[in-house]
Amino acid sequence: MKQTLILTGRALREARRTPEALAPTLLIPLFFLVVNVGQAGKIFPGKSTPFLHGQGYAGFQLPSSLLVAGSFGSAALFLVEDIEKGYFDRLRAAPVSRVALVMSRLLAESVKSLVLTAVMIAISLLLGVRIATGVGGFLLLLVLTSAWAVVFAGFMQLIALKTRSSAATQSGGLIFFPLLFLTPSFAPRAMLTHPMEVAASCNPVTYIMEGMRALVLGGGDWGRVGLAFAVVAAAGAVMLLLNVRLVKRFD
Amino acid sequence: MTWAVEATGLKKTYPSKDGEVEAVRGVDLQVRTGEVFGFLGPNGAGKSTTVRMLTTLLTITAGTATVAGVDVAREPDAVRRKIGVALQEAGLDDRQTGRELLTLQARLFGSSPSQAKELAQKQLELVDLLEAGDRVIKGYSGGMKRRLDLATALVHEPEVLFLDEPTTGLDPASRLTVWDEVRRINARGTTVFLTTQYLEEADQLCDRLAIIDGGRIVLEGTPADLKADLRSRRGGEPTLDDVFLDATGRTRTRVAGQVEEVQA
Repeated sequence: MKQTLILTGRALREARRTPEALAPTLLIPLFFLVVNVGQAGKIFPGKSTPFLHGQGYAGFQLPSSLLVAGSFGSAALFLVEDIEKGYFDRLRAAPVSRVALVMSRLLAESVKSLVLTAVMIAISLLLGVRIATGVGGFLLLLVLTSAWAVVFAGFMQLIALKTRSSAATQSGGLIFFPLLFLTPSFAPRAMLTHPMEVAASCNPVTYIMEGMRALVLGGGDWGRVGLAFAVVAAAGAVMLLLNVRLVKRFD
Repeated sequence: MTWAVEATGLKKTYPSKDGEVEAVRGVDLQVRTGEVFGFLGPNGAGKSTTVRMLTTLLTITAGTATVAGVDVAREPDAVRRKIGVALQEAGLDDRQTGRELLTLQARLFGSSPSQAKELAQKQLELVDLLEAGDRVIKGYSGGMKRRLDLATALVHEPEVLFLDEPTTGLDPASRLTVWDEVRRINARGTTVFLTTQYLEEADQLCDRLAIIDGGRIVLEGTPADLKADLRSRRGGEPTLDDVFLDATGRTRTRVAGQVEEVQA
């Protein structure tokens, strides 16, 4: 655990020194939030749209943007850079637990995501969003987003460890499109066309998004929140297991 | 006698489209404690693959290896505690300062924060990087990076130091500085296992050397003995270059022919 924390500290120092890599992870999700609300906000007026529970459409869109923010996988991009430059071999030649090599990057990703999510939510408050479930809901939203960021970075780390190529790792990140758009991102699942509803129901990200919406919009649907945490925990466990397996076999 | 490095029948095969590729085909090596051992060979001969197996970075397909008396395959972590490794490309993190990199390395080897600070300071002094220590590595010259790489490999005071082509790409002045470093490190008792393409480097630094070609050791001995052996067979005053060409079956004419081909 000590080694994990030492390497997490290094990864966070690296993030502080590359603000140019952090900036897009805040600006692009904000862009999505503003554009999506601008495009569909009038179709779903807050006062007459039951699924908004009295809020504006921005509250419905915030979870989608938070998921975008958590889908950059920057941990994997830094990891593959270490591999390409030979620093990963220096770490592997030291008596460092193989688990610490991958865990530290994911832990740093979760810390970065917590900070970025807090900033995103603060900005969304200025756009009129209210977290209906209060401070507790706000904290759960932070944790859920951050956990999703770990899952996504974990997936991209698998590509980084397998291919050892930054180009391949970056391309792997494009899975973000089907994962985030085959969801009820513009309207609730019940309002989607049948094929789209089936696709969204098969996509685990749907359940995380719906859990986040329950936290932002309220409505007392804590079952959805619980399901979101269960999905993200299961996906996180699978990613961690596969990461450890791959790093132990890294030859 | 406990050898600093001992390998028996060391093999590495990789899967390929046509079956398997044998990168190392049964290497036997014995490196004495306290010596500078040179590991020479043409490109693709299996030098780096052997070093990567001995330093726990690659799995061993067959055979056995011990480093500082510890079995590489059975106790990789124990081996890692006893070795320092500087590979062909300086394994540095450009975004950290030299001091941060050394401190981190010492911490990973179990030093407390204050011990790690002291060790980093000591290494920066030893490799003459004290002034640049608090600058990010990105701005370092090639020679500075190589010295820092060496310092990082030494921060935990290893018993055996592996250097894979430590002077490749360096200017002559930086090369001489690295040679001085290797002599200093060896003088305090650290065994040095060095691969190089520069035969002059091997002649200057190594107590003994082995030449690998096609994944097998083809010659082993002290530079003086190897030259004397060739002198007795061919006469004249052979250099280590001649010994190398003789051992690997390459000739100056063939090498010159290859160069001409490239130019055409």
